Amino acid sequence: MATSKSMTLSSTTFAKLSPHPYLLANLQPADPSTTPTRTNGRQPSQTRTPYINTSSLSHAHGSAVVRNGDTTVICGVRGETILTSAIPNYRAPSPSDDSSSSLDEARDYDLLVPNIELATGCAPNFLPGVPPTTLAQTLSTRVYSLLHSSKLVDVSRLRIYPEEAGKENKEEDDEKMDEAEEIDEYAVAEDKAVKAYWVLYIDVLFISFDGNPFDTAWTAILAALRDTKLPFAYWDADREMVLCKPVFTAKEKQKKGSGSYWILVDPDRLEEGLCDETVTVVVDKLGRSTKILGISKHGGTVVGPELTKKMVATAESRWEQIHAAIE
Amino acid sequence: MADRRRINGPVGATTPPIFDKPAKPAVAKTRDSIRKIFLKTGITPSASGSAYLELENPNPKRTGNTSLKLMHRSQRGKDAVTCETRAKGILAYTLETALRGAIIADRWPKSGVDIIVTVVEGDQDRDSPESQKDDEGWDMMNVLSGCITVASAAIADAGIDCVDTVAGGVAALVCKDNKTAPTIVMDPVVAEHGNILAACCVAYLPTRDEITNMWFKGQLPGADMIVYDKLMEKSLVACRCANRVIIQELNETVKKGQGIS
Repeated sequence: MATSKSMTLSSTTFAKLSPHPYLLANLQPADPSTTPTRTNGRQPSQTRTPYINTSSLSHAHGSAVVRNGDTTVICGVRGETILTSAIPNYRAPSPSDDSSSSLDEARDYDLLVPNIELATGCAPNFLPGVPPTTLAQTLSTRVYSLLHSSKLVDVSRLRIYPEEAGKENKEEDDEKMDEAEEIDEYAVAEDKAVKAYWVLYIDVLFISFDGNPFDTAWTAILAALRDTKLPFAYWDADREMVLCKPVFTAKEKQKKGSGSYWILVDPDRLEEGLCDETVTVVVDKLGRSTKILGISKHGGTVVGPELTKKMVATAESRWEQIHAAIE
Repeated sequence: MADRRRINGPVGATTPPIFDKPAKPAVAKTRDSIRKIFLKTGITPSASGSAYLELENPNPKRTGNTSLKLMHRSQRGKDAVTCETRAKGILAYTLETALRGAIIADRWPKSGVDIIVTVVEGDQDRDSPESQKDDEGWDMMNVLSGCITVASAAIADAGIDCVDTVAGGVAALVCKDNKTAPTIVMDPVVAEHGNILAACCVAYLPTRDEITNMWFKGQLPGADMIVYDKLMEKSLVACRCANRVIIQELNETVKKGQGIS
């Protein structure tokens, strides 16, 4: 519609004057023989190729630069130690309750500190020198909750033990450590109390911003965590401090799925506290077809696309129930 | 710059790692030039002009570098502020005076330039305790000279009229211990040198042979003006070296632009 008028304008002027019709005109070309393309020349489903470079910072324990088109993000991970005596309401973890217990060390003791900064002049709409904007805060919070709910970082690797236990661990703390050794580590650690923890400060800086911030930031965090090498740390009882030795790798956790799961619709308080994964689907069936108003899924790794569809079906029947109750 | 984070981490104090065997102190290499500079303009397409600067670390053990990045945004039709920098106190102020001398403000009345420099990484290595005690802030000199160079490149990239490209350079008077005689080094790496007596950071316009800003800090032994002059001279040599990099990068950018159109 607007295309005929725009013939007299240059495309850049048109784009600036009315961006929305410009995008639509590109997506629905007047001539049906031309394939619809986006204003940036990409196909509707075409993504930008990500480019990732790790270990770019020298003073950080792990770092990554991710470039996705014109969005560039730099992420650095720094480890610092915190004594368990400095943690309020500290409760020693028992080696047996690894994943099932209610104790979530990383979350309860705030061992992961992700922060995203946009105020670097990465785009004209983010002013520098001001407190974090709503977007920066939202991104930080989303990354924070995803880091915890995905259980990406193996908390047992963040624990720091007294020296004796540490010595035995040292041989095992090689770059490639398989499951069997990991179990050994627990056996060694059993009678040794955790003295300190590593706290990972994860800082994400946007160098250049051209859309899709969460995706790029999360990719950078993944790449940087994978790249993170912490020094081997132990608790020195004589000096009453944490000392470090040369380097080992903090590896991402490959979680063993037990395989069996149950879907509990409309959980009560007890169930809610015990569930690893929650899916909330909001649907509207008032029209002819079902409209999905929102899907949010938190934690766990069980629910895939198939199960999500099933959840939507469950939500539909639930909607009927509630609709009937309201009427 | 206090209010930058919303997720603050644990309540208790955390400490950076302390090693049981301290790492060997870095050995100062004798150089008669500055460290290698990597400079790239146009890294932020959404800004009017931008540049990225990285310094080589001569010490292979610590593959460190000072990375500085600059975003630069020009706003036309705003207040009559020429140049506004938002950074840490003294750095921002010095950077502003250094650049103010180069920009031809009269050509763009009633317009402002926002210059944003983000220091990605400094020279200090927090893993080694000996470099953590840099209370005197010698490192800031290097950071400032990098800021000046990168800001100048970004301003040129944005196409803002300047009389010349400003370049920053640092020279310092260092001595190994109390017995040996102090020497002057260009572009000092703070961690490498045992004791820094004085340092000088200069912003310089090479083609016009003008200094827009100078920051001198420290104590010179005796009232020796010759040492002072030498220190200045060495800083100027460092500036000229840095300026060559700016010119080369800008030439390349121009060539690239011509190739497309």
